[in-house]
Amino acid sequence: MKQIFLLIAFLICTTSILQAQERYSTKTGIITFEASVPSFEEVKATNAQVSALLNTTSGDIAVLALLKGFRFKVALMEEHFNENYIESSKYPKATFKGTIEDFIASKLSEEEKKYNLKGTLSLHGESKIIDTSVRISQTDEGITMQLNFDLKPKEFNINIPNLVSSKIAEIVSVSAVLLLQQNNK
Amino acid sequence: MKNRKGFLMIVLVLGFAGYIGYNYLYKEHRNISEETSSLEISASYLLERFKKNDAASLLNKTITVTGTVSEIEKNTITLSNSVNCNFETDLKNISLSTPVIIKGRCIGYDDLFEVVKMDQCSIIK
Repeated sequence: MKQIFLLIAFLICTTSILQAQERYSTKTGIITFEASVPSFEEVKATNAQVSALLNTTSGDIAVLALLKGFRFKVALMEEHFNENYIESSKYPKATFKGTIEDFIASKLSEEEKKYNLKGTLSLHGESKIIDTSVRISQTDEGITMQLNFDLKPKEFNINIPNLVSSKIAEIVSVSAVLLLQQNNK
Repeated sequence: MKNRKGFLMIVLVLGFAGYIGYNYLYKEHRNISEETSSLEISASYLLERFKKNDAASLLNKTITVTGTVSEIEKNTITLSNSVNCNFETDLKNISLSTPVIIKGRCIGYDDLFEVVKMDQCSIIK
């Protein structure tokens, strides 16, 4: 009997905590990465179906991109990206879990503010700490987050064969634009 | 005379190799809306298959999904809270709670929102 009471008390507590949290989300975030080398074919892909979830009480954010959703201009490049480099059938997604430091939702405005974002990016079976800045603004449409950071394929155990390495930059620049809307489901 | 023939042959072979090579390097993207779909499935059952880890064979495949529109966000719609479908063009004449049939390429499972994702979608009905 006591256990049941405890369980009920626990459930009430957790549900009230969940209700107090403000959640903002999107399923149409955009991530673009580019690893072009001047005078060679552009190596650039975009995914416009990125999921993201922001807890505006804690500043915690989770982002998920399915790697098969990255579209290249050149079909063969897209095929090589999926089959040889990122191995999207074996490792289908890239995820980021992190926290926006000193985030206070009530202080957001239409004017962009810079925050520090720290978290873990997991990709191709490897995880790496990312520490970058994020620009955040809020309008009637929701909260917009914009960020850029650089990655090295090597750090994620992605090997680029010598034959093509001169055509793919060693540092990949990644940018993300997320328009998050209130979601209290 | 013999040399000229040989030269012509080399030019032809090189031209042909170049043509094949170019077609290989710059082959067309798949046209999902024109591909025949390999499976017709309800949105909720598709989600169930991904949750049971029984859907790896569907990745990158063109499939047809049935369900009701439960969410519209920009150029994506969610079917029966289970499958998120992205369109490359803007959506028109789609309203919530209507039943639809959508063809697209299955790109995987999003465990953040617990939905299956498809891209390059087109509306069949």
